[in-house]
Amino acid sequence: MNTTTQMSDSALVSLYIQGNESAFEQLVNRHKNKVYTTILLIVKDSYTAEDLMQDAFIKAIHTMKGGRYNEEGKFSSWICRIAHNLAIDHFRKEKRSPVITLEDGSNVFNTMSFSEDSAESLQIKEDTHARLRELIQTLPQSQREVLMMRHYADMSFQEIADATGVSINTALGRMRYALINLRKKMLKSNIAYDKNLYSE
Amino acid sequence: MIKTSTQNELIQYVYDELAEDACTQLESAFMQDTELAEGCSELLRLQQLLDGASKVPSKRSVQNILNYSKSLSLQS
Repeated sequence: MNTTTQMSDSALVSLYIQGNESAFEQLVNRHKNKVYTTILLIVKDSYTAEDLMQDAFIKAIHTMKGGRYNEEGKFSSWICRIAHNLAIDHFRKEKRSPVITLEDGSNVFNTMSFSEDSAESLQIKEDTHARLRELIQTLPQSQREVLMMRHYADMSFQEIADATGVSINTALGRMRYALINLRKKMLKSNIAYDKNLYSE
Repeated sequence: MIKTSTQNELIQYVYDELAEDACTQLESAFMQDTELAEGCSELLRLQQLLDGASKVPSKRSVQNILNYSKSLSLQS
């Protein structure tokens, strides 16, 4: 049994700094999806998102192995903030929205996988989640930013307020409106509010 | 009509950022206020839906990261 599976992120970071590569593997597996999604929602291209996710973790590796990791704050917020910043930098450089395609030519938003579901329910989930990601992109920029920072980048509302130069109440208000607008858009798009969609 | 301050507290509550005493107060309020309880339930459903919309990176990218870290360890 892997002894690192139940450890806190902080304990895993300490072990990794001491040279334990299994601890790092655990950290990567724990946070890879949030880091990847954070980037993908910004750059909208799976190839670029894969590259930037690697860059984010490589940056984290150098910081931790170089003894510059700050113990304050959560690892998840920290790594997602690195990812968010890399994605924003990339987006500013590109200043365009690339076409989203995969190696097989399919749309990047059609590849989610779920277990123990019928083909039909899988398809419904795939369609719903794909549509949801599209709807996130249509939110006003300030609302989309807070939603992505809080939900996918795992930053606290105070951290978001500090990062965006607003009060915590403004950050909370933006999140509230993001969720309200998302719900309205979902209803308008006839996205079913089926509880079966929520379980992975 | 739910007050804005309470709506903000609801957001903090579903994201586990509300102080313990405020959580207790809010949970008591759920028992008295159906609209508030439904508002919370709605937020939790949206939160779960957003969780499901996250994407998984390729195994190759993850392996590249792990290999890079190991290669640095071997060098030092």
